[in-house]
Amino acid sequence: MGNALSRGAVAFRVGLGAALLVSVAVPLLLLLVWSAGRAWFFPALVPSDFSGDAWALLGGSLGRAAATSTGIALVVGALSGALGFVVGRAIAQLRGWPRHVAAALAFLPIAAPSIALGTGAQYYFLRLGLGGSPLGVILAHTAPAAGLASLYFLGVFSVTDRRLEDEARTLGARPWQVLLRVTIPAFRRQIAEAIALGFLVSWSQVPLTLLVGGGLVRTLPLAVFSYIRAGQERYAAVGALLLIVPPMLVLGMAMVGTRRAAVIAA
Amino acid sequence: MRHRRAGWMRLCAAALVVGCGRAAPPPSAAQLSALPWDSVVTRARGTTVTWLMWRGDPSINAYVDHWVAPRLLATYGITLHTVDAQGPGILNALVVEREARRIPGTADLLWINGETFANLRHEGLLYGPWAGRLPNAAYVDSASPIISRDFEQDPSGYESPWGRVQFALIYDTVRTPDPPRTVDALKQWILAHPGRFAYDRSFTGMTFLKTVMYALSGGVAPFQGGFRETAYDSGSARLFGWLDDVRPALWHSGNDYASDVAALHRMFANDEIDFSMSNNQNDVLTKVRQGILPATARPLLLRDGTIANAHYVGIAFNAPNPAGAMVVANFLLSPEAQFEKQKPAVWDDGTVLAVDRLPVLWRDRFDTLARDPRALPRDSLAKYARPEVAPRYQERLEADWERRVRQGHR
Amino acid sequence: MTRSAAFGIAAAAIVASPVLLGVGYSVLASFGLAGVGATGFTTARVARVLGAAATWHALWWSASTALVATALAGIAAVLVGVVARRGRRIDRLTQLLSVLPLPIPHIVAAVVGVLLLAQSGLLARLAYAAGMIHTPAQMPVLVADRLGIGFTLTLAWKEFPFLALVTFSLLATRGVAMEEAARTLGADAWTALRRVTVPMLWRGLLPAMVVVFIVIAGSYEAATLLGPSNPLPLPTLTYDRYLDIDLTRRGDAYVLTMLGLALAAVGVTIHEWVRAWSERG
Repeated sequence: MGNALSRGAVAFRVGLGAALLVSVAVPLLLLLVWSAGRAWFFPALVPSDFSGDAWALLGGSLGRAAATSTGIALVVGALSGALGFVVGRAIAQLRGWPRHVAAALAFLPIAAPSIALGTGAQYYFLRLGLGGSPLGVILAHTAPAAGLASLYFLGVFSVTDRRLEDEARTLGARPWQVLLRVTIPAFRRQIAEAIALGFLVSWSQVPLTLLVGGGLVRTLPLAVFSYIRAGQERYAAVGALLLIVPPMLVLGMAMVGTRRAAVIAA
Repeated sequence: MRHRRAGWMRLCAAALVVGCGRAAPPPSAAQLSALPWDSVVTRARGTTVTWLMWRGDPSINAYVDHWVAPRLLATYGITLHTVDAQGPGILNALVVEREARRIPGTADLLWINGETFANLRHEGLLYGPWAGRLPNAAYVDSASPIISRDFEQDPSGYESPWGRVQFALIYDTVRTPDPPRTVDALKQWILAHPGRFAYDRSFTGMTFLKTVMYALSGGVAPFQGGFRETAYDSGSARLFGWLDDVRPALWHSGNDYASDVAALHRMFANDEIDFSMSNNQNDVLTKVRQGILPATARPLLLRDGTIANAHYVGIAFNAPNPAGAMVVANFLLSPEAQFEKQKPAVWDDGTVLAVDRLPVLWRDRFDTLARDPRALPRDSLAKYARPEVAPRYQERLEADWERRVRQGHR
Repeated sequence: MTRSAAFGIAAAAIVASPVLLGVGYSVLASFGLAGVGATGFTTARVARVLGAAATWHALWWSASTALVATALAGIAAVLVGVVARRGRRIDRLTQLLSVLPLPIPHIVAAVVGVLLLAQSGLLARLAYAAGMIHTPAQMPVLVADRLGIGFTLTLAWKEFPFLALVTFSLLATRGVAMEEAARTLGADAWTALRRVTVPMLWRGLLPAMVVVFIVIAGSYEAATLLGPSNPLPLPTLTYDRYLDIDLTRRGDAYVLTMLGLALAAVGVTIHEWVRAWSERG
């Protein structure tokens, strides 16, 4: 290819860019039109009528579901970030078979299908009096989120050394001082990314919320699932846009802001 | 590290306390029934009632959220908290709650009928009896077998009727100006129009199959009076024979089945198939108004008879607030709530009250309630209404259909 | 075992505890020792569910669609990674567009899949407008189809951004220095790319692809909306059984749950093995 692109390569690049643009824009546009389209039947390319009734629920049930989802996902992000930090760091210090066993254990909650995790765990959550409560849903979401965060921090701590912390400790700093003054500031960006990952795991969860929340905790993905199964595409589309547009904006700004892709290879 | 672990354990302990340290157990049915109704209403004031109900229809949601809830709050000081759940989900939630010994539980009122009621009752997961003592129960049309029996079961006070509906096919007057009106004619139509008819694999589709089974067996009579293996065997043999005949001419050659009635509506609205169906004969008009079905969609009754049933509200065995749930159930039975619910522009759900026994004022209102000209006339609905039979028929049908048809050889 | 090893494993076990507890309960329920209708130890239920062809069809459908979707997403990620591997402005734009759909939940991907790919969806309407079809029936069946084409395409699209992100981070950390070194040693551009960068990407991407495979195979909401009625995808079948109106069949869900967890355990083992191999490389 060299430094100057050949004409064929340019055409290929443009084609690829267009395909990527379509793959991002078409779903967004499709959902946007569906969110206000009424009586939109095959083979019409545009709706025959429009209605803002689904958008009006932003001030009602969909708005409340979005608030519930945001609150739960923020707590899950923080909890799983903290847990993952500790666990990932502990696993990173292991060598040999214990490292593999521990890493495999941490991976289990991500690998287990949420439906299996939910059916198996529903009994315990109810036994603890946590079924149908936001706290129960938070803890249930934290299981896969903490697994992901642990693996993420395992990756982070596998490639970094602890010299700075050791130095601080030899200079007489107490363990919590090392943690607060050295370790956490040094990994600020990674901690933020782990919290974002935990947020997203919780933000998109359906089966666990359904089983542990018992419908009493109505999150945004649950509302979308329920609407689409009831044939209410307009309402489902509004919920879907609420689910994807804010995180995409945040991600886009973060990527443009740091001018580089976030490193989250697990 | 040890500190942090201790902190984690404290968090768990706190969670346990929050979860388990709940108020004293709610009053039993016997305790509440000893109280005069006024005391029940007093106890309910200032409480919250959690209602597990299907939340998939914006029209129903609007009625409950914007008409029922504000009146409950204004009149009785009751805050209504609705929760999205359907029959099998409700059953599952209560089964697991009982196993986990969750008393008091989370749900008060439950929107149920048919096999959900049968299973809940059989498992002892319903509170009661209570329904008979509601002041408004005096107006219930108990002479109607559709209302006084839920899939042939006596509700015996463990559920209170809320509304009644009747199964109807849905067709498009433009696409199918002369639709089939009997099960035989439907078979001929399907064979003449390959790929244009489908039914779903959920509740509505199974009700359709039961309707066909009645028609092929000379009516509902052979199946009445409890579940009988012989009646089921001969009825289901006729049904599966009929299905084998039409199968190659069904949508996707009878190899795929829509997951639920919403998927069926979507296919019908978009000209993939020519019929849809609903357990509520007026559903089609609501969906036309919502812009989900085309304006020319109409309900269609099969003259062999179609299944009519009532839906009810029950109270969970571990309801934290049974008194509040009773007050809500009583309000749902009130003439004003039933009247509002039956308005075509609201929900168009049939009343369970005996209109002729109501005070004159309400009788007049119900009688003059504008009928949508597109709706099925009341007398033909009554003429073709057939009651449900024991829930075991449906359970067996579902299991056999899954084995013989859904997973069947092709 | 050293203290730190014990602590590390214990910490990981805390994270894994919901799964371990769930496995315990599912085993008890599968063998008739817990759950509704439990009547004491019996292997009848396990034998019945594992003896049913529908169970294995469900497992096969979920595993095979997940495999194809993962492969598609992986190929696309490597392709985009290779094309946009230098830090030019257009490369950064390509990377941004690739990663942007990352936060799209499965449920939204599934809704888009239905609205786009159904026989009367947007694609069918475009085909109609172009005069290629006249009725929905002429459109290829992509939703609720036996082969799961719509499901596979939708999930490949949904998981592509994640694999693209991993690809870009591999390029950011390991870079294209090796490839450039190969070129200064006389390799032509194509050979250097094919022999150096592409193998590096595959090796680095494989653990993430195992994760993607497991996630797709366990996807409930997308499988329910886009999957066929025969066979039912494994997660859909599990949930259907869990909510069966016939309470005696409800316990079957736990056997299916065990099957799903077993598939996940296999995935975890492969992931660990692949990751160790990938890190060595």
